[in-house]
Amino acid sequence: MSEQVTILMRKAPYGSVYTAEGFRSMMGIGVFELDISVLFVDDGVYALVKGQDPSALDMKPLGDGFPMMPDFGVTKFYVHDQSLSERGLTTDDLVMNVQLVDEAGAAHILESSGIVLPF
Amino acid sequence: MLYTINKSPLMFGNLQSALRIAPVGEPLLLYEDGVYAAAQGATSEPLILQALAQHPVYALQADVKARGLTALVDGVQLVDYDGFVELVEQHHVAPWL
Repeated sequence: MSEQVTILMRKAPYGSVYTAEGFRSMMGIGVFELDISVLFVDDGVYALVKGQDPSALDMKPLGDGFPMMPDFGVTKFYVHDQSLSERGLTTDDLVMNVQLVDEAGAAHILESSGIVLPF
Repeated sequence: MLYTINKSPLMFGNLQSALRIAPVGEPLLLYEDGVYAAAQGATSEPLILQALAQHPVYALQADVKARGLTALVDGVQLVDYDGFVELVEQHHVAPWL
């Protein structure tokens, strides 16, 4: 199948189940070898920050999982540059290498997808 | 691409964020609490005016009616469920949840 899917991550990781569910669907979709992109915008960028330790919340650290996604066939990670800089972050603060995109770049990723899954 | 917004602009930044990413000319659809953005006189009005200056803006009639919104900002186009389906048939959807 060649349907393009974009997973749109806009929520911070531990305040809701969205990030965890987005992560799960990312793994599932990757296994089906669909062409998948993951785009982090707004508080979604917090999911990629290094050093997350939610053990005291009895939750799993979500950030650790993303660098393993290439093993599941998910290799295209994009981050909206301003969402990152507005939060005082740079790519050095992230758990993995990502491609930075501006607004037009983010819109292009969405437009080139047949399906956008929001989390 | 159709950008869909279902959160109140006074409580959440969904509309603002969608406006930042959506290229000029792409349609927006307000539904559920997103329709409050279309209310005349709300402090969020500058945001919907900004949206209208750059995009076709639709609001789902059932959600507008349910919330008792009678005075909508000029230019917001009401759509019924059939209109909603038509928009979704014509565009890919970017749900800005």
